[in-house]
Amino acid sequence: MLELTSVFLFMLFGGMAVGCALSMIVQRNPLYSAISLVGVFVSLACLYVTLAAPFIAAVQVIVYAGAIMVLVVFVIMLLNVETEVRRPLRLRYLIPVAAGLSFVLIAQVFFMLFFVGPVSSAPSNVGLTASIGAGLFTEYILPFEITSVLILMAIVGAMTLARRAADIPLAARSADSSGAAGSPFTDPINDSRISGSRPGLTEIVGREMAARAIERLESRTGRGQGEET
Amino acid sequence: MNWNSPLVQAGLTMLGINIAFVVVLMIVAYTVLAERRILALIQGRLGPNRVGYGGVLQPFADLLKFILKEEVIPDQATKFFYLLAPIIAITAALMTIIVYPFGPTVNLPFFGPVKLVIAQFDIALLYVLGMTSVGVYGIMLAGWASNSKYSLMGGLRASAQMISYELSLGLSLVGVVLMSGTLDLYSVVELQTNRWEFSPVLNFFLQPLSWNIFLQPLGFIIYLISAIAETNRVPFDLPEAETELVAGFHTEYSALKFALFFMAEYVNMFTVSVLATTLFLGGWNGPGVATFPVLGVFYFLGKIIFFLFLYIWLRGTLPRFRFDQLMNFGWTFLLPAAILNIIVSATVAYFYY
Repeated sequence: MLELTSVFLFMLFGGMAVGCALSMIVQRNPLYSAISLVGVFVSLACLYVTLAAPFIAAVQVIVYAGAIMVLVVFVIMLLNVETEVRRPLRLRYLIPVAAGLSFVLIAQVFFMLFFVGPVSSAPSNVGLTASIGAGLFTEYILPFEITSVLILMAIVGAMTLARRAADIPLAARSADSSGAAGSPFTDPINDSRISGSRPGLTEIVGREMAARAIERLESRTGRGQGEET
Repeated sequence: MNWNSPLVQAGLTMLGINIAFVVVLMIVAYTVLAERRILALIQGRLGPNRVGYGGVLQPFADLLKFILKEEVIPDQATKFFYLLAPIIAITAALMTIIVYPFGPTVNLPFFGPVKLVIAQFDIALLYVLGMTSVGVYGIMLAGWASNSKYSLMGGLRASAQMISYELSLGLSLVGVVLMSGTLDLYSVVELQTNRWEFSPVLNFFLQPLSWNIFLQPLGFIIYLISAIAETNRVPFDLPEAETELVAGFHTEYSALKFALFFMAEYVNMFTVSVLATTLFLGGWNGPGVATFPVLGVFYFLGKIIFFLFLYIWLRGTLPRFRFDQLMNFGWTFLLPAAILNIIVSATVAYFYY
């Protein structure tokens, strides 16, 4: 009975993971794909729990579903990519490559099943918090430290990029497309009376959205008028 | 009947989860009523007092109204996500309630000793944090799928705020974890039972001194502030600032779907209160629990009610932040303070434990 239950749970969560993964690839709308990927992460976390590795499951949900994908969805929402992105024709050759790779993967699984066989199902404490912490800070301390430095580098790099992007004044951007003084849209966000000394998240977001709105409006109306005059 | 068979245990757990859901939803319903009455008291009004004696049946009247109202789905909405968003919000909010221990081990007739917790596992605290972080999707998707500018801005604000304050929320708990050496909430509460040894009489009266709040005062304050921000309550309720954004991310939601968001907000309020009680205020601990274990349940409820009252009190007292103030406060004050707390706690834990 217990065996049956665990098989049922595996089928349920494994099926969910595969279904969500397929949906992620098939969907054309990027937001649908992103949410499907969240589904994949959550079902993988459920699988980890059934495999007696609760810590990894929790980290999977917190880091991937809770942090990384939230940022991805956030960016998709900000850019508001609603139009379907057609697949470029020159990437057609990727379809047979994908089929071949999946065949290799399935062959690997069968190889594992037939020649290696299942590992012993004796209870182990590999997935528990204490054992992971002990391993991380004793045996694998060097990779752990290197990874930390890597992440620190990524943080510093991201901050540098964000600063540079925020420093480009909006007026310079819109001045390229239309006449410098001709733009009828005032720019309240870049106004030195309103904005503070340093750009915060809202300010960057606001600037970005305002810049997009102005570009869109100018491409619709401003440029046409500019050609007439 | 063999009580130790896994299937029977699973059935009992299932039963416990259902009971807990009903109890929590009842508490939430009456929190809403209490909020309306206490806010009215603060503002010199009466509040809802017509349905039942002093308004005790008001939550049910509200629920009936929500159910009977017309369901409106905006024409331009992305229907699937529009319907999915409230479900994610309420599910993620309700899922955390099963890990909280609400009482010590009691002797029940026929059962023998029973731990008053529905599910006890190794990573309970991480599970709570994970579910909290998944709850963001409900709000983000609601804002995006409604296809309305107010909803979108509200959703963006809410998710930016929740991502930012989640960090200081998680980091403020690290101190407690360091002091306890475990992520299992039941053990965390048990460790707060008898930390110091006095004479028996003093042990009775000074029991509260064992609570984590006295070891982690900074962590507690940081947790409290970020928890209020995480649940989008006053003074951090920017996502639903009605003067600017109509109602924020749930502008386009009506009837029962709005009720689900509303309930999710209050369930979140409840769960962060429970987490504060469990981690910092000793959970079910209190004078006299050692002799009368059932007293622990009442201590537990009392502490939660204190936090819920604090929420309502703050709502009646404080004005709202501006959004850039909110972000600056979170990133430049709370987060460094939380990291400082971790450094100090780790140093102390290294030398004294």
